[in-house]
Amino acid sequence: MSSMLKLIHNEQLKIYTKKSTWLMYLILAGLIFTFAFSVNYYGVPNEEYQVDNWQQVLQEENQNLEQEMKKDKFKTAYHSYIIEKNNYYLEHDIQPAAYDAWNFTGETSEIIIVVGLLSIIVAGGIVANEFRWGTIKLLLIRPIERSKILFSKYVAVLLFALYTLLFLFITAWITGAIFFGISEVDATIVKDATDGFRSVPLFKDILTNYSFPLVDLLMMTTLAFMISTVFRNSSLAIGVSLFLLMGGSSFVQMFADKDWVKYILFANTNLRQYTAGNTPFAEGMTLGFSLTVLIVYYVIFIVTSWIVFKKRDVAGQ
Amino acid sequence: MTSAALELVHLKKTIGKKEIIKDLSLSIEPGEVFGFIGPNGAGKTTTIRMIVGLISITEGDVLIQGKSSKTSFKEAIQEVGAIVENPEMYPFMSGWQNVKHYARMMSGVTKERMQEVVELMGLEKAIHEKVGKYSLGMRQRLGIAQALLHKPSVLILDEPTNGLDPAGIREMRDHIRHLAKEQNVAIIISSHLLSEIEQMCDRIGIIKNGELITLQQVGETENDNLLHHLQVTPMNRAKQILHEHLQLEATALDGRLSFHCQKEFVPNIISKLVENHCAIYELTTAHDSLEDQFFELIGENTIE
Ligand SMILES: Nc1ncnc2c1ncn2[C@@H]1O[C@H](COP(=O)(O)OP(=O)(O)OP(=O)(O)O)[C@@H](O)[C@H]1O
Ligand SMILES: [Mg+2]
Repeated sequence: MSSMLKLIHNEQLKIYTKKSTWLMYLILAGLIFTFAFSVNYYGVPNEEYQVDNWQQVLQEENQNLEQEMKKDKFKTAYHSYIIEKNNYYLEHDIQPAAYDAWNFTGETSEIIIVVGLLSIIVAGGIVANEFRWGTIKLLLIRPIERSKILFSKYVAVLLFALYTLLFLFITAWITGAIFFGISEVDATIVKDATDGFRSVPLFKDILTNYSFPLVDLLMMTTLAFMISTVFRNSSLAIGVSLFLLMGGSSFVQMFADKDWVKYILFANTNLRQYTAGNTPFAEGMTLGFSLTVLIVYYVIFIVTSWIVFKKRDVAGQ
Repeated sequence: MTSAALELVHLKKTIGKKEIIKDLSLSIEPGEVFGFIGPNGAGKTTTIRMIVGLISITEGDVLIQGKSSKTSFKEAIQEVGAIVENPEMYPFMSGWQNVKHYARMMSGVTKERMQEVVELMGLEKAIHEKVGKYSLGMRQRLGIAQALLHKPSVLILDEPTNGLDPAGIREMRDHIRHLAKEQNVAIIISSHLLSEIEQMCDRIGIIKNGELITLQQVGETENDNLLHHLQVTPMNRAKQILHEHLQLEATALDGRLSFHCQKEFVPNIISKLVENHCAIYELTTAHDSLEDQFFELIGENTIE
């Protein structure tokens, strides 16, 4: 094995030998199970349409909804949304697909924020803990450049995030299969966009659901890694990064009318704003602009970490 | 080219405005055991941190087997095994996992070698337990095991006796003498307790307030006038004999005769006393304790 692979192996061993890491996976599995259980409890979507006369079922539903709307004006918004959706199915002669493991997996992309949280915890500790334990001394007196040691740590964090994401995906699929069964992957689902409903392949929907949150995940994990390296304090690293992960988007919303807001990281992490049917956060923002801002922040995080780690005097706490 | 295993060349360290190490020069030969003694805050750990590259060198250089740790750190540190201050290991991993972890960071450490150092430090029984459950002494032993893994030619031990029981200190002394004599390893041991390491060192350096104030070879020199204590009866006759035949002035104290003489005179003294029917019970040589000199040199320890 090359020396770099050995270093990465070491870092991964340290992550996975700790009991707290396994506790994280347990919590994640618990969340997925609870999610599946509640979907099942409140009624599996589209179940009532899995009959031969599904058109009739949809029409009857629409009639009922219209009646209710007449009695109760407050329900108008939501009910007319469902009616429109039902009409879309009827007009295009698409039978609403059965809800299955794939649909469930797509919906668990909501939990990716928890993967982000766990990755931040690991990233926030990976350098700071070595200082806290005092093991940094024995780590650095080896015939290996400091930059390589830091690199192995960063790679280990990214691998942890990747494995955890895979764990989420696979556990979600298995849980979904147990609760809802498996039908075809090549099903299509109907989604709403600002310009009306459209039918998209389920496979593509899952993929987009799982890819867009990765930007946030990568940026916040890298930020936690930087704070961990610079301040040698895992609580600070985890606290700040989590706060920003949760509150970053509200922060930019608050200052949405300001000119400078588009240069803030959190105005740019949601790349979904550039997909069809969405409008960018601020005027003049383009995909190229956001990618540039993201790269600049990323490079700052990485370069700061490396410079500080290389130059640091490792003397008492 | 120098033949020294480790050479400190006008080493200086300034943190902020404080000069912690002031122009330290020192050279240690292969196979030599060097005791680095000083009171708290003298700068022992700081010097060691500079040698192993944990902190930057403000001025001067460290040469390890002739290689500058400033310009060719990798080549220099390859030769070094060290423990710095407390023996800290990953508490959630077993001793063996810790050893494997460090073995992966150096080339050419075999499994056999790992087992060898574990046995050498007497850790076979505890090695598969979590380090979090280890006592201080056990962690110290694991720390030394880790330092020996790659057969370094320079071994640096910062307060290795800290936490060791008397048997542990004794064993360590034997290992260290063995490493120095058989494998020609140059060894630096720091301590504030001279008495603990005096017996394993060839040379002692005393550091105070960042300055090396004395360098001294351990072990008496042949021509020293050493103090001897003699338990003998009858005392008066013995005293007379010493005076008349050997021109030695002895004083009687606590039922013993005390006198100064060179080592080579001792057999002569004994045979003269026996010839004259004096009964000798005990003859001891009092080594002028380095410890006494140590306190004389450093005076009171006021931390600057
Ligand atoms: N990071 C630091 N910043 C400022 N001063 C420091 C720093 N590290 C050490 N010192 C100072 O350097 C001096 C030497 O400390 P050092 O740890 O080298 O002493 P020591 O000889 O190892 O002492 P001890 O026997 O207590 O281990 C002390 O006065 C200490 O206050
Ligand atoms: Mg010290």
